[in-house]
Amino acid sequence: MAEQKGLPSDDLKSISDRIIQLSQADHCRVNIDSGWRGYTRVATNRITSAGGADSTNVNITSVFGKRVASINTNSLDSSELEAAVRQSEIMARLAPESPEYVPELGVQSYQPVQAYYDSTGELDPLTRAEAAAIAIQQAQASDQIAASYMDVQAGTSTVATSNGLYGSHSNTGVAYTLTSRTVDGLQSGWAGDEANDWNNIESQRIANDAVRKCASWRKTRLDPGKYTAILEPTAVGMLMLRMRNAFNQRTADEGRSYFSKPGGGNRIGEQLFDDRVNIYSDPTYADAEVSPFTSEGQARGRQSWINSGRVEDLARSRFWADQLDQQVLPGPSNLIMAGGDNSLEEMIASTERGVLLTRFWYIRGLNPRIISYTGLTRDGTFLIEDGKVSRPVTNFRFNQSLVEMLQNVEMMGPAVRVAASENSSVSTPIVVPALKVRDFNLSSVSDAI
Amino acid sequence: MRLSTVAAAAGILLPSPMPVAAQSMTSTEQELLLHAIDAARSAGADYADGRIIRTQFEAIGAREEMITQVQSSDAYGINVRALVGGSWGFSATQTMTRDAVADMAREAVMIANANNEVAPSETILAPVDVFPDADWVTPHSVDPFDISLEDKAALLLRINEEALRVNNIRFSSSSILSVKEERLLATSEGSMVRQTLFRINPSINITAISPDGSDFQTRGAVVEPAGRGYEYVMGLELASRAEGWAEEAAMKLEAPPVDPGKWDLVLHPSNLWLTIHEAIGHPTELDRALGFEANYAGTSFIYPPEDVIGKLQLGPEFMQFVGNRTEFGGCATTGWDDEGVPAETWPIIEDGIFVDYQTTREQAAWISQYTGITRSHGCSYGQNWETMPFQRMPNVSMLPGEEDLSEDDIIGNTDRGILVEGRGSYSIDQQRYNIQFGGQVFWEIRNGRKFQMLRDVAYVGRTPEFWNALDSIGGASTYYLGASFGDAKGQPIQVNAVSHGCPISLFRDIDIINTA
Repeated sequence: MAEQKGLPSDDLKSISDRIIQLSQADHCRVNIDSGWRGYTRVATNRITSAGGADSTNVNITSVFGKRVASINTNSLDSSELEAAVRQSEIMARLAPESPEYVPELGVQSYQPVQAYYDSTGELDPLTRAEAAAIAIQQAQASDQIAASYMDVQAGTSTVATSNGLYGSHSNTGVAYTLTSRTVDGLQSGWAGDEANDWNNIESQRIANDAVRKCASWRKTRLDPGKYTAILEPTAVGMLMLRMRNAFNQRTADEGRSYFSKPGGGNRIGEQLFDDRVNIYSDPTYADAEVSPFTSEGQARGRQSWINSGRVEDLARSRFWADQLDQQVLPGPSNLIMAGGDNSLEEMIASTERGVLLTRFWYIRGLNPRIISYTGLTRDGTFLIEDGKVSRPVTNFRFNQSLVEMLQNVEMMGPAVRVAASENSSVSTPIVVPALKVRDFNLSSVSDAI
Repeated sequence: MRLSTVAAAAGILLPSPMPVAAQSMTSTEQELLLHAIDAARSAGADYADGRIIRTQFEAIGAREEMITQVQSSDAYGINVRALVGGSWGFSATQTMTRDAVADMAREAVMIANANNEVAPSETILAPVDVFPDADWVTPHSVDPFDISLEDKAALLLRINEEALRVNNIRFSSSSILSVKEERLLATSEGSMVRQTLFRINPSINITAISPDGSDFQTRGAVVEPAGRGYEYVMGLELASRAEGWAEEAAMKLEAPPVDPGKWDLVLHPSNLWLTIHEAIGHPTELDRALGFEANYAGTSFIYPPEDVIGKLQLGPEFMQFVGNRTEFGGCATTGWDDEGVPAETWPIIEDGIFVDYQTTREQAAWISQYTGITRSHGCSYGQNWETMPFQRMPNVSMLPGEEDLSEDDIIGNTDRGILVEGRGSYSIDQQRYNIQFGGQVFWEIRNGRKFQMLRDVAYVGRTPEFWNALDSIGGASTYYLGASFGDAKGQPIQVNAVSHGCPISLFRDIDIINTA
């Protein structure tokens, strides 16, 4: 087994122990992130940047009564660490009391999560360059221009408190995405994968898919309007990444969320979505694994948010749970939307008139009262007529409530891990199906390619 | 001539004042950096540059009557960028020993070699003067890190208290983020540049809830970040103005929804600056135009260079935009960029016509035959010690009109329109054609006067038509510098802070939608 990236576990524990030993505060918490990031970026059919760096960051939180402050440093020698501890204590003494401070946690138990894959941790610059070369060669062979990015991260996060808690979690992640465009700039296609395990990144398939999609997408006119839309998994994932933020009980209880009940309270328990909608988080989900604890050291387990269209629960911070005398419920770590058994081909074949969407861009919130977002389609938008993809069409802006989208589900595909981040970096693991939905609001034409 | 005359009249783009504070980077750090550059050259780099960067943040936040965040961070490390053949390699480390930095420099060369073997390319660096002993510090009179947390906390709590006095205001949050970047740059050509950059971001967000709990509205983005010291925050009089912003949040609960359709649009600079950022700043980035951001931030409708430089009419004759890294208070203002190119100001749109892009040393030669400019405009920047510098947006500002029209003059010229204040939701496509921007506060204008507040407004359009719909602009007295700390680009994503100045502006017949 290869040596893991980042400082060895014993060193991380020693640093934590030393800081807690140095602490003169009533309470102290130490969070350390230690790891490595490597990347290779391609544009105009050449590698434009590639690099890597090891880094270790230490965050120290000091508490006097209810006065709290934290400091982050990457200077690890003994005197610098001691200076950081003293500085955090000076800041904490100066800080006004925080009425919402909840005492640091003591010893916790966490479920085991194996999220570190040597295949990813040992991914070297030459292997990354070889994957880039596949894309460049494939694009050149079709008179296209490749732009790609591979982001690789590996390391360990720890949490420790002066009440005896210690947790350590190692993780890897790799995201690889490719945009291929024609030389005249009039066509564009995209494909991408994200995984914890490099073995699940299919460089050749990504090159094939992006180049094929580019070759098939040369836009033609289509009027904006509400369409039956088939969203490929990446498009669904980019929206669900935003939906995650709404699962918060406090904002609901405070009257500033879709999940607020008019007149007070929240809508936990209400049937608000299509009964095929099931959304949950699970730190152990295969190849979408995440840490089994939060930065405060709170344990995370499998948690349902939407169960058969009904709001199962909303996240509660330790303070809010205390106020309500309820269980703490950490927010979504990864997000999994259970899939169905409809293939993309079946969705297309069942559609008399609709659009097929590859992915989105520049998604921004519009109205939190209905969880609506705006954004634009990108890198492959097609018209479906009489059960077949009839022609590529222009890109569109959408203005769409995600609530309505999840109420208008017609068909679902199998759930898969997607590269849901717009910048294609390793991000929150998102596992979602392709969806066929009614009345997706494509509000205006975008001339962009 | 015309650009400089107008700029001087507006009191902007003035030469940067001399440094006012001592630099903290030491001769030991200089030696370490030169050691890394030497190691890269010895390992076969044709060119190398490197940086030692210390970035300090301090954030303090409050919610209603409590302090919710007191946090600081300090990140320190060294990097080297090496050129082998035409390919770059980059590496960085936080271990500041001679052996570690030499290993790091050799790794940068190894990566450059690997890239050059797999996909060889050509890179020509534009000429630059050598600055062997250069210094620059953001002009400021009060170092934000010298102001105590207690004083900052007291200000935030007072802001929230003032806001919460207003009926239906249930929540108020406020924060101050202070940034200090100490940067030491060395190049294998012989430049050595020490700089200390300050930025500060005061922020307030106020939420009103209707008495029956059926609706909520917010007022945020009330003031701007700036590349200045704490004296900027002290001059904003935040506590005394908080009640006014809170009243606007409460008024939004009662405001009628906008009727969608064509309206004249008066954009206050507190809103227009972000439209400039998205619809002038980004499409005039040369790397974006030429496909270097195709996999993320996108490309540009201002393309290809040979067809658009000096030819593309983007707006009326009185519309002038400059790129600059010199504007007082600008978040992208600096002395030298990350390649040792001195800060400058240059025209991007002159008399309504696009004339030049934003460039780095590598990029200048790509368009010099069309612009006649062989040197970089100094737009290279890396976010911190562990990120590779690349082309980032400078301050991009619209110059005020020669005639000093006031806000009242501009509103007075509008029979049926909407005045938009503050940045709201914003989205634009990957070639910067399709825009949809909201705001914070919307005022219906009737017969040349503000009539009533509206809600749920967003303006939409196609960028070239939008700028060509510009009817008139305010004078120097309406000039205002907006800014963002969060301009994202690149893979790995890097964040850049940037400012955009502009006067109040009137656009005719713009499509308005209702976002409710």
